[in-house]
Amino acid sequence: MDNQALTQGIREAASRLLAEGTVDCVLGYQAGTVPMRERPFFAYNPEEAQRLIWSGFCCNNLADFLIRRPAGEIGKVAVVAQGCVSRSIVGLIKEHQLTREQVHVIGVASPGMLDRDKVQALVGPDKVITAAAEEGDELVVEGPGFNQRIARNKVMRDNCYTCVQRNPVIFDELIGGESEPTHGGVIDKVAAPWERLDPAGRLAAFAENYQDCIRCYACRDACPLCYCHVCFVDESSPQWCGKTQDESDVLTYHILRAFHCAGRCVDCGACESACPQGIKVRRLTSKIEKDVREFYAYAPGLELESVPPLSMHRPDDPQGFIK
Amino acid sequence: MSETQEFEPRIAAFFCNWCTYGGADLAGVSRLQYPPNIRAIRIPCTGRLSPTFVLQAFRQGADGVWISGCHPGDCHYIEGNLFARRRFTVLKNLLEYVGLEPGRLHFSWISSAEATKFQQTVIEVTEAVKALGPCRFLRKDIGMVA
Amino acid sequence: MSDKILTKDSAASFLAGLGGERDLFAPALAEGKLAWAPLEPGREPLWEFSNTQMSPKEFFFPQTECMMRFTNQQDGEQGMIMRPEPELARERVLVNMRPCDAKAFGVLDLIFCQDEVTDDPYWRDKREKSLIIALACNDPCPTCFCTSMNCGPHSEAGADVLLTDLGGKLLVRGVTDKGEAAIAELPEAVPEDIAAAASAKEKAEAAITTSVEMDQVKAREVMELYEAPHWDQVQESCLNCGTCTFCCPTCHCFDIQDETQGAAGRRVRNWDYCMSWLFTQHGSGHNPRGAKKDRVRQRFMHKFKYIPVKRGGEIGCVGCGRCVQLCPVNIDVREVVRNMNA
Repeated sequence: MDNQALTQGIREAASRLLAEGTVDCVLGYQAGTVPMRERPFFAYNPEEAQRLIWSGFCCNNLADFLIRRPAGEIGKVAVVAQGCVSRSIVGLIKEHQLTREQVHVIGVASPGMLDRDKVQALVGPDKVITAAAEEGDELVVEGPGFNQRIARNKVMRDNCYTCVQRNPVIFDELIGGESEPTHGGVIDKVAAPWERLDPAGRLAAFAENYQDCIRCYACRDACPLCYCHVCFVDESSPQWCGKTQDESDVLTYHILRAFHCAGRCVDCGACESACPQGIKVRRLTSKIEKDVREFYAYAPGLELESVPPLSMHRPDDPQGFIK
Repeated sequence: MSETQEFEPRIAAFFCNWCTYGGADLAGVSRLQYPPNIRAIRIPCTGRLSPTFVLQAFRQGADGVWISGCHPGDCHYIEGNLFARRRFTVLKNLLEYVGLEPGRLHFSWISSAEATKFQQTVIEVTEAVKALGPCRFLRKDIGMVA
Repeated sequence: MSDKILTKDSAASFLAGLGGERDLFAPALAEGKLAWAPLEPGREPLWEFSNTQMSPKEFFFPQTECMMRFTNQQDGEQGMIMRPEPELARERVLVNMRPCDAKAFGVLDLIFCQDEVTDDPYWRDKREKSLIIALACNDPCPTCFCTSMNCGPHSEAGADVLLTDLGGKLLVRGVTDKGEAAIAELPEAVPEDIAAAASAKEKAEAAITTSVEMDQVKAREVMELYEAPHWDQVQESCLNCGTCTFCCPTCHCFDIQDETQGAAGRRVRNWDYCMSWLFTQHGSGHNPRGAKKDRVRQRFMHKFKYIPVKRGGEIGCVGCGRCVQLCPVNIDVREVVRNMNA
């Protein structure tokens, strides 16, 4: 189903749910005010539901908004969710941040989200893009003096190439039917590129990857897993992680945040989409989740029953490195 | 430190109160000799160990970090060390992936009766860290910036 | 103030002449991103670009800045000593800064250096040691709205010299005494050049299609703006990250901290952002802006109402449009201000 039809389907479902009073709010997207970015939108009535849209630039993880509503105010919310977002919702239910009854999932198969930085780079770094519209397998990009067609599969967000679950894993209704579950990439082949480097090379690659970080915490704030009332970054007695731009402070932040997502990260890519500096934020979590798959045969968010891997243990857990 | 002095590593050692800390105490009482490079930090259980502790040690200039607790099945809190085992696996793999040299981060299971094993492990850890020289990984140096 | 002419062919050597004792910086493309970088003497800067992703405020207000160092050895010879950080060793020339950014630092001068008591020596030192050569925008971006914010694509406020690109040459206008001194040796511009620049200015101003009215924001009382109902919608999708604050040329909040290492330490200030929960957290546990809505509202009220009230009408925004481009959830400041003004 194309974006137009999916948009229609989402609007109809949302209108109906709001009119019937099944939900208090539908969380989806409306058109952004800049090209290549749609914006999260909260529709509270059928009229507002007509503003909902769906496209390849719906790059946030809407489950992130399920954790930020003040206690007691959550009511029942419908969420437009593709594969990774539905896995985030499963994760939040598993971690008791949400009950299944509080969320009505309007499932959609993911088309593979697009990366606006890649589009910009292909068109020319300083060309002003005034519009970018999807047409089937292509993206038509326009600006003063140019009109270019780009193959969609050249400019997808990194994690979408290796997605293993494009279809939502839980849903109360599915708009547009299911699609091929994967995009064909094999995550384990690309999850840990620094493994082939020696320690000095790894440290250099690590520091270089995060050197443009401005500590805005957009990555953390866009992530549905980061719901601690007091983030470790804000602790001061002791201060685990400095607030300066010293390399030690920046890298400590990223290591610890990635570790806190261990066994929980569904690789949705919202962190990379949110980062204003275009940093490949996923480098660390990709490696961690690869290890979790290898050592504990676990992938987060696929079903509601299992216990997250770092919240459990087995007698035969690997310990060859322990003296 | 002058050129002529040999490098003496500083190793932050996190010991669980019930097993390894007791084993260290027994080694002391038994007058077993071991290198003085470790700084023992007592925690109630290895399950208490947060990766923030390990990183804080390296930030503050530790050349190596060693974490030791009860054998699986013997944890005073039943399963603290079993959770820790998974955490350690992920942490060691992550830190070595981002450039921590293998040989700086060590783990062991040492019971309160294993004074000899304690002595042997101190020697092993100290030699491994010493061979790598001073650690710069994540070292926070307030002299460096602006 | 005079109008001179500089051909692009001689620009590199003219700028190198300003160098010598000074360091030169200009926007440059590095790995697909536009950012401020050192300009080697003899190299021509970029003339055609939109604007750098991050504002150049780091030249005056580094993200991490050491304010002083101290040793707390009470028994040593030195005892308890506090040493200020050295001032900037060399002057700088900031080439091709956009007028919006140049204006922004003029607004921040009013805040960092308000009076004798509130005079930030770190800011002042860097400002005094910088020569700002602004480059007028002939091709504003779709997200620019400087003309609504007491600024414009050819605005001179905050610049020492304003360049206008006329094709193969640039009109060079001295704005301040410092600027005049820098361009003294250049040949005078002819009336045709001055007219061409004026017409480029008109064309650029007309090309700014976004208009953000502020008349009601100016007229209304603070509490009326504060209690308007639209804030409930604005704050819903905000992530409370620091993206908008950090890319903004007029945002200026910071947090001071002491960091110690053994017997020594330093006092640093780091950029802070009012969107953070921690920003207003009191030691007692009370937080006057504990709700997300309070924090989101605060930022817009500060920039568009409190600053104008306290700084004689200057707005805490120059319409550069960076936050519009970079906000991860596309909260559009133009829309927010229009709602404030509605």
